[in-house]
Amino acid sequence: MAADLLELGQLFVVVAVAGAVALRLGLSVIPLYVVGGVLSGPFVAGRLGLPYVENGEIVTLFAEVGIVLLLFFLGLEFSLDRLLESRTKITRSGVVDIAVNLPVGIAIGLVLGWSLVESLLLGGIVYISSSAIITKSLIDLGWIANPEAEPLLGTLVFEDLFIAVYLAVVTSLVLGGGGDGMGSIVQSLAVAFGFLGLLLVAVQYGTAFFSRVLDVSEQEAFVLRTLAVVVPVAGAALALGVSEAVAAFFVGMGFATSGHREKIERRLTPVRDVFGAVFFFWIGVGTDPTLLAAAAVPLVVAVVLTTPAKMLSGYLGGRVYDLSKRRSLRAGLGMVPRGEFSLVIAALAAGGSTPIMREIIPAFAVGYVLVMSMLGTILMGQSSVVERLVFRDGEERTEPAGG
Amino acid sequence: MTVYESDLPGVGKKHEVELGDGARLVIVTHNSGKREVFRRADADSDSEKLFELSDQLARQVGTLLEGAYFQPVQTDRIETLLGEDTLLEWVEVGPDSPVAGKTLAESDLRQATGASVIAIERENEDVIVSPGGDAVVEAGDTLVVIGQTDACRDVLSTVRGD
Repeated sequence: MAADLLELGQLFVVVAVAGAVALRLGLSVIPLYVVGGVLSGPFVAGRLGLPYVENGEIVTLFAEVGIVLLLFFLGLEFSLDRLLESRTKITRSGVVDIAVNLPVGIAIGLVLGWSLVESLLLGGIVYISSSAIITKSLIDLGWIANPEAEPLLGTLVFEDLFIAVYLAVVTSLVLGGGGDGMGSIVQSLAVAFGFLGLLLVAVQYGTAFFSRVLDVSEQEAFVLRTLAVVVPVAGAALALGVSEAVAAFFVGMGFATSGHREKIERRLTPVRDVFGAVFFFWIGVGTDPTLLAAAAVPLVVAVVLTTPAKMLSGYLGGRVYDLSKRRSLRAGLGMVPRGEFSLVIAALAAGGSTPIMREIIPAFAVGYVLVMSMLGTILMGQSSVVERLVFRDGEERTEPAGG
Repeated sequence: MTVYESDLPGVGKKHEVELGDGARLVIVTHNSGKREVFRRADADSDSEKLFELSDQLARQVGTLLEGAYFQPVQTDRIETLLGEDTLLEWVEVGPDSPVAGKTLAESDLRQATGASVIAIERENEDVIVSPGGDAVVEAGDTLVVIGQTDACRDVLSTVRGD
């Protein structure tokens, strides 16, 4: 017990320091939490003979709560009405986003000789952009007040919806597939969609229930009641082999219509941030840096191919929103950062049955998120340089005409 | 003046106000309540951040801008335009007003003018919202009236006894 508490204490010290460094450097906290986890885990601190944090039961459970709360907040922010309101634009930019990026990831996996499920996991990891990092950068750079914020945030809404469906399917493939043939896959998919379907119906008709549960003014009771709905539903889902993340997403959608959305966001954000930090740290703890070498080939190929792919799809998304070429290019740069959801997919893969799923994909995802979160943030910060590089031809042509 | 409103999923809401010279004022209201105010010189330029305010500070500054404490431009009444031809208007009941001391039913403003009294503000008391016909209007009250522009003018002259 004392050892566990000390270990948890070490975790929070590392995370707090990582957060301070991120703040100092103006970076997103996510990659730094992950690096903190790698350094203080068994593979680095452990090998050096320093006190290290083990990938133990407690940390894993906290990390699991982190995943649940991350997706719960995603559901809370997700509004079907908002999606329907500007559905043509969001759908068109969202479909371009999927059509370009998901196949690139899947193809990389297949070319490397991975199985279909493994390639699908890789596709998801490179497809899904980071809402947290992108939103933070938009605010930091002041782009939030510019027109390019709209295609960026709109496309992220579409990605959120897609990732819910994706996680539901892929969780069944990874946890239920087990390699014993089509029958068990079909069965686990049926269970997943049965459970999630029921949950969706409950969410749709349960607005009165959700608002009654939260109709309390004490902060403590409010927070506890929210957790008392989200965590058990997610737990029940996981017990049935259904994605706990998607279940939490749906509960979030239910709470969003209860009229308490902003209050939940205000009061539960600190809770989410604590468990979220543990989740990112935990991902790092489970990563053996020497495995990064094994994942080096897919990593380099993925960075080289998926950076321009995201920029292209983001650019086209900007054009769908009738933005100028310069602003569309920014929308492209803005979509590059990958983060929390790629790591959620990696955590799912880590529960799989093949060595590629258990070791290579999580190591790949950690390396990929570290590179892409930094690269994306840098590209956004240096967008004026990129704009000059890309549009240099155009300017050269217009200059002689003008002078 | 046109105001454009759009959602910023995960962040809050954005309002853009045309300033008349092609520039726009962009107000980003975060879910946390924080306001960020930007100015965009024209459609092609980037928004420049002017300042940011906490929720409470933004409300206080907003009241100042509204002219609640000081209005150098003399207007004889405060009015708010709702749509093309409908006004929300505040009318103070003077001591000599013909409606002072009467119930709303007795002064029968709605029948006479077509505008409705939707609230009565009384100093040091709660606002009477949606007052019934038996509500008594006292000198010193402020009536909140809604109606067509003409109807509101009529209420104004009736209450003032012009």
